[in-house]
Amino acid sequence: MNAGLLIVSITTGERRMRSLVLIRITLFLIGALITGEARAESPSVTAVLTSSETALGQPVQLEVKIKGTSTVTTPQTIAVDGLQIALTDTRRSFEMHGLSSVESNLFYGYTIMPMKAGTFKIPPQPIRAGNTTLHTPELTLHVTDAANRGITRGNQGATPNPIGGEDKLAFAELVVPKKTAYVGETIPVVLRVGFNSRTRVLGREPPNIGGQGFTIQKLGQEDRNLETIGGRSYLVYSYKSAVSAARTGNFQLGPVETKALVLAPRRGSGVRRMPFDPFDGDDPFADPFFSDPFSMLGERREVTVKSETIPLEVKPLPAGAPPTFAGAVGNFSMTADANPKRVQVGDPITVKVEIAGRGNFDRVSAPNLRDESGWHKYPPSSNFKQDDDVGISGTKTFEMVVSPNEKKSALPPVAFSYFDPVKEKYVTLESQAVPLVVEGNGPAGPAIAAATPKAPTAPNSQGATSPQPPQLLPLLRERGKIVHSFAPLYTQKEFWMAQVFPLAIAIGLAGWRIRRVRRSNLAAMRAAGFQRETDELLRKLRRDVLPPPEYFSDASRVVQLKTALKQNIEPGAVDADTAARVFALDAERSERMRQLFAISDELRYSGKANGSVSPDHRREALELIESLRT
Amino acid sequence: MKPVALTKIGIVLSGFALSTMSANAAPNDARFEKANSEYAAGNLKEAISDYNTLVQSGEWSANLFYNLGNAYYRTGDYGRAILNYERALRIDRQHPEAQANLRIARDETRGLELTPSLFERYVGAASSGGFIVAAAGLFWLAVLLLVIPSRRSFLMSAIVCFVLSACCAIATYTLTKGPRGQALAVIVRNNVEARVATADTARSVVALPPGSEVLVVQPRGDWTYAALPNDQRGWIPTEAVEKVQL
Repeated sequence: MNAGLLIVSITTGERRMRSLVLIRITLFLIGALITGEARAESPSVTAVLTSSETALGQPVQLEVKIKGTSTVTTPQTIAVDGLQIALTDTRRSFEMHGLSSVESNLFYGYTIMPMKAGTFKIPPQPIRAGNTTLHTPELTLHVTDAANRGITRGNQGATPNPIGGEDKLAFAELVVPKKTAYVGETIPVVLRVGFNSRTRVLGREPPNIGGQGFTIQKLGQEDRNLETIGGRSYLVYSYKSAVSAARTGNFQLGPVETKALVLAPRRGSGVRRMPFDPFDGDDPFADPFFSDPFSMLGERREVTVKSETIPLEVKPLPAGAPPTFAGAVGNFSMTADANPKRVQVGDPITVKVEIAGRGNFDRVSAPNLRDESGWHKYPPSSNFKQDDDVGISGTKTFEMVVSPNEKKSALPPVAFSYFDPVKEKYVTLESQAVPLVVEGNGPAGPAIAAATPKAPTAPNSQGATSPQPPQLLPLLRERGKIVHSFAPLYTQKEFWMAQVFPLAIAIGLAGWRIRRVRRSNLAAMRAAGFQRETDELLRKLRRDVLPPPEYFSDASRVVQLKTALKQNIEPGAVDADTAARVFALDAERSERMRQLFAISDELRYSGKANGSVSPDHRREALELIESLRT
Repeated sequence: MKPVALTKIGIVLSGFALSTMSANAAPNDARFEKANSEYAAGNLKEAISDYNTLVQSGEWSANLFYNLGNAYYRTGDYGRAILNYERALRIDRQHPEAQANLRIARDETRGLELTPSLFERYVGAASSGGFIVAAAGLFWLAVLLLVIPSRRSFLMSAIVCFVLSACCAIATYTLTKGPRGQALAVIVRNNVEARVATADTARSVVALPPGSEVLVVQPRGDWTYAALPNDQRGWIPTEAVEKVQL
């Protein structure tokens, strides 16, 4: 119970309602007046069905709750074709919110008895609350045919038989939607355990289902609901599960059993009969509340709740199952796809198949290729995503790797078979062929073996002409070249050590090349110097302003420089004969060359020449020098 | 100490080293022979034990792994057979017997193989060692062509050699770091499934027959994250997978 919300309920029965209600209402209104004011908020209405599905002949409850008003007018019956709906229960409660406000709630319980199968809409009902009119929401109720698939309850009746003697503390029941099933078929069941709302459940075990010949799924999530059964209010715990018959025959499913520790009203605290009862059994002061004001504490009782068993006939699957049937029973659909769609022979292709629906998914195995010739299949993997609490409905996804052994144009259709218990026949689902492009030739194994020069040819393990299993090539008697590492060659120091030799050669060559270039540069610089000096001297000679000694000295120097440039020799080593030979002068010019050098020497060593040095001599010398071509 | 004495000590030490090396080689040769005899006699467990002792000694050869693969194959351990054939081919990519028996073992298990890239298909026939030697040779040739007194034809040849050397270096890198490189591993257990998480109850990605190839991405304790054939990834029990490269 919520600590922040003290809820005290006064339940009114049909017979003693007036006196008890009056007394209790009076008491709590006094309390409300003392502690605060009654909550006055705008009225509201809610309406729920205790179950949205039922079977023909199995009643369900419609609970209408009106808040925020104390004067309500509701219909006694609700007219829906196929349903009998009548008001069967009325209750009022007050909720104290702290000590400052009290909220009044009214419950109206309608019992709905289905008269025929189908889906029914319960239209909005007008509720007159004070000066306003409220409307309940539209509700839908599905009614199945009880004759064929009627819900069977573990207590064999429309209402469960609570235990606990007069107190009727608790009950358990097993709800099974059908009485006959096929082997392997998964049947959803509901386990319901109810405790009288006047008790307080201190502890309880989850219920378990007895019975042999079945496999039982683990219980789904608990669902709590407040229901009125036999005029009493029960807090009902519901668990969904599923059972599957393992063999044929007539079986008893159940019972559902659970233990609980409850805080129940003390025994013997019921209505006391007095010798003179002026109220004829309706004495308000005979209520346990007055005989034991602390009865709300009650006494602890450990109760064992047990339902009755449910008979279930399990039939064998009919003969004529298709080859692709692997035990799936239910109703399924299938989609399939394959990727990649362009591969080489021998490459893997992932085939993804999704099987969705409702049934025994634990028996849904991977579908098969319609034509497996030329394909190799690998073990598939699977994944199941359930859509409900107990795994009856969902989607199972298979990923299966196949590889083509030869050229193919499409993946063959994938086939999956199951038994439909509703249609009572086998159904085979078949996907569309998936277009593929398979390139290349067959596996390279035989080619490799045939290319082995010193070993016998390995037989083709896939060829139809070689039924014998492949034989391994024999052992090798020699150890062969020893290595000490798998590391790549470039990570081994020996490799880098070996690079020293070409590196040394490259360095030597580079040094030689550099030296050669440097030497070449020196020769060029020398030649350039000679050329510059030659040009300078020629300019002086052409101006003809020099005295004879310098003039002829410079003239002979020019001849030496030109000869050195042409022959790549030292200028100082050049004489007239050398110059004549280098420039291939004729006899006359050679003679003039000798005269030039002779005059130069004479002027240089004696200060005068033998004979006169006329201007013609100068001009001839200049012509001779300029005629020398380097 | 006189130089003559130093020389004598050096000679003695060299002789000792050589004798030690030959002493180690001789028992391993004998063990190899013994393992072969055990194999021939049908004592496959003893043969495998001897071969594995040789493997642990660090003196490996393509023939050793090939013979070990044969022994595993004959015991029905196709996963380890494929693993050792792969190791033999890692040492000698052109080992014909290992190539042939590897194909036979693969046909037996139908293990999944990693799809090589187009480049790997072309360069896969040669070994990384061959490519790196070619890369080095071409590089030095290009250097020599540049150093030699320049001619235009020499310069063009040097450029071509540099380009070819770079191609060989890329091929080497691809072979050593690609799918066939250090991360290549082989499934050696039966009934192995790659899963999306490190739990036996996790959803299965794909079933991996023994001998299937995977690439180890990240080992983490009892589980190893691996790249799987068909461009998938998943967690594999570490004990179920062994790397090809020791």
